[in-house]
Amino acid sequence: MGSLFGILSASASSLDAQTAAAATNANNLENVDTPGYSRQVAQLEPTVPSELVGNTYLSSGVTMGQVTQVRDRFVEAQLPVAFGNAASSDAASKVLSAVSALNPQASGGLSDALSGFYSALSALSQNASDPGLRQAAVAAAGTLASTFQQTRASLESARTGVDQNIAGDVTEVNTLAAQVASLNGQIATASASGAQPNDLMDTRQNAIDQLAQLTGATMVSNSDGNPSLVLPGGAALVSDLQASTLSTVPDASNEGHLDVDITTADGTTTLATPGGELGGLLSARDSALGSAVSGLDTLAWDLANTINTVHEAGTDLDGNQGQELFEVSSASGAASQIAVNPNIVSNTDLLATRTTGGTGDASNVLALLATSSTLLSGGQDAADTLAQITSAFGAAAQNASAASEADDAIKSQLVTMRQSASSVSTDDELVEMQKAQQAYAAIARVISTTDSMLDSLVSIT
Amino acid sequence: MRVTDTMFYDRAEVDGAAARSRLDQATATASSGLRVVQPGDDPGAAGLLVSENVSMQRIDGIATAAGRASDEVTAASDALGQIQTSLSRASEIAVQLSSSQYGASDRAGGATEVQGLISSILSELNTEVGDRYIFGGTADSAQPFDGLTLDPDGTVDASTGTYRGAADTRQVEIAPGVAQDASVRADVALGGAGGGVDVIGTLVTLANALAANDPTTAASTVSQLSQGVSQVSTAQAQAGTILDTLDAAVSANQAASTDAQKRISDLGDADEIQSASNLALAQHALDTSLTAISQSFQFSLVDKL
Repeated sequence: MGSLFGILSASASSLDAQTAAAATNANNLENVDTPGYSRQVAQLEPTVPSELVGNTYLSSGVTMGQVTQVRDRFVEAQLPVAFGNAASSDAASKVLSAVSALNPQASGGLSDALSGFYSALSALSQNASDPGLRQAAVAAAGTLASTFQQTRASLESARTGVDQNIAGDVTEVNTLAAQVASLNGQIATASASGAQPNDLMDTRQNAIDQLAQLTGATMVSNSDGNPSLVLPGGAALVSDLQASTLSTVPDASNEGHLDVDITTADGTTTLATPGGELGGLLSARDSALGSAVSGLDTLAWDLANTINTVHEAGTDLDGNQGQELFEVSSASGAASQIAVNPNIVSNTDLLATRTTGGTGDASNVLALLATSSTLLSGGQDAADTLAQITSAFGAAAQNASAASEADDAIKSQLVTMRQSASSVSTDDELVEMQKAQQAYAAIARVISTTDSMLDSLVSIT
Repeated sequence: MRVTDTMFYDRAEVDGAAARSRLDQATATASSGLRVVQPGDDPGAAGLLVSENVSMQRIDGIATAAGRASDEVTAASDALGQIQTSLSRASEIAVQLSSSQYGASDRAGGATEVQGLISSILSELNTEVGDRYIFGGTADSAQPFDGLTLDPDGTVDASTGTYRGAADTRQVEIAPGVAQDASVRADVALGGAGGGVDVIGTLVTLANALAANDPTTAASTVSQLSQGVSQVSTAQAQAGTILDTLDAAVSANQAASTDAQKRISDLGDADEIQSASNLALAQHALDTSLTAISQSFQFSLVDKL
């Protein structure tokens, strides 16, 4: 038979349970704006019935079970990939949209310089012996060469800027990977007691989210429940309690731009193929920007050689065979090396404008003008080659932008679903607090009533 | 769906930022008037803009060069016109003073006039446009014809009017890859190159014959001078033809340039009405977004309990 003291005892533990529930709600409300905080739920459980009354076990109140995090595993499983993809395409899009060197309507660009060079030759073809027009033609050639250099330097500057971002990201990745490995250990220790270390788990999840964004790392849980993180190329970034280290290494075959290596705990170093922001940066640097740079080099090399061949077949004002108009030593980096022959710059009489006629003979200028429609190594003339470089870069930028929007939409949807499941609603928490308050008041009334019953019993005796 | 505070504020941030971004984009397009600024705005159009820009400036260059060549040929045609007038006068003098009715003093006067005509013709033949001698072919940096030189006895030296220019014509580009003669052969028209009459030599003969009171020799020049007039007339006709071609080229290239400019505008410029409409829509969208956000902030259980 249940006793009044038993009721008082059960009420006391129930008051504790309701207080803990209210405290959990309060904690949720206090963390309503904390990034990465996952709302917690107090699991109240009826106490195990121990007293048999007649044929029935009487329960004796409520007790606090566990305080657990609310997470949607289905959503959580998809988020790392979504974070990685969105960060990758966003990084690539930002890099490519910041490049203005190939803007088609910008004055002073390569198309202006190319057309300016041929316009100057057109003017020269009308009066080849005119010193002013010769000077203008040499100056236009100089502008073309310097614009090649500037355009390439601008693209290379963007690539170098990407390198700086990569180096910064690598440092951040190493810090976060070490943090996750450390947290794996702390969480394992804390969990051994049976309690769930929710705040540590939140901190680790935050770090994992950031690593997913930076590297595209996905999570693989081991038998202990601790997550390991794997890069898209298959290398383990975090393996249980051990973190690998990323490092940047200049690649001589890529103009000294940085590669990313990964060194695992056993000391093995391999080339990393990260996704996420690092992957997007590497892709933008080496694909779209790298192609534009190599395209410019090829154009500069082909154009210079085509023009030089014609120029060297002509005769200068003094009757001597023409020299090379453009100096460029190798196809690699041609756009950065191209320059007008300094002899011609200092003496425009050396411009080989004629073939067999007098000083006014512009037949070689006409031949030089014909190079504007000469097909270069890519099967297109110079203007069309430049147009193709511009279009290809534009297509890459547009694709990155479109991918960024699409990936961001997917990420946003999943983040919204995560927030719907895991983040704090003040309305919900206030309602829960009201429930706890009401329960607390009811239990207090039970104590008061039981106390009256005890008083009655005592007064009889 | 369970809606949490973070979702609520994130949505306000994201949607507000998106509306502002759209407004910024619409403002940039409307204020710059450009639809394609970066290659990524429209990769196909960006490439075509590069090609069209190079093509247009190339055409402009050709038109400018053809226009300058046209100016030179116009000057050449005018000079040939003056030369033709001078030659006609020389013909008249030759015919007139070959007659026995005139005496030595008349012929001496005629010789002086013919010397003047020679000087005038040579001056025309040494016409410069800018620093360029337009009747020297490609040898355009020095006088193509030697000037009038008198011997000590007052007769005209045989070297007078010797052609020093090149036996060729200058050319100019009138379309990409298409060259056109841009000068007339004065050595052919007046110097006798190519089998014609040496008009200057004939004038020298006439002047000296008149000075020597030699009507027979003077008479022998009449038919040559007549042929010379014809040669100059032919050269002038050639100049006219060249001029027509160059002027047509200028017009054609200007029209092509205008077409190219229109294509560039079609490719790269924003449609004004569309831009204004997009701007108004973006402004309205931002206003609506801000209103919705501010109103939704008003509802919370915190204020009701």
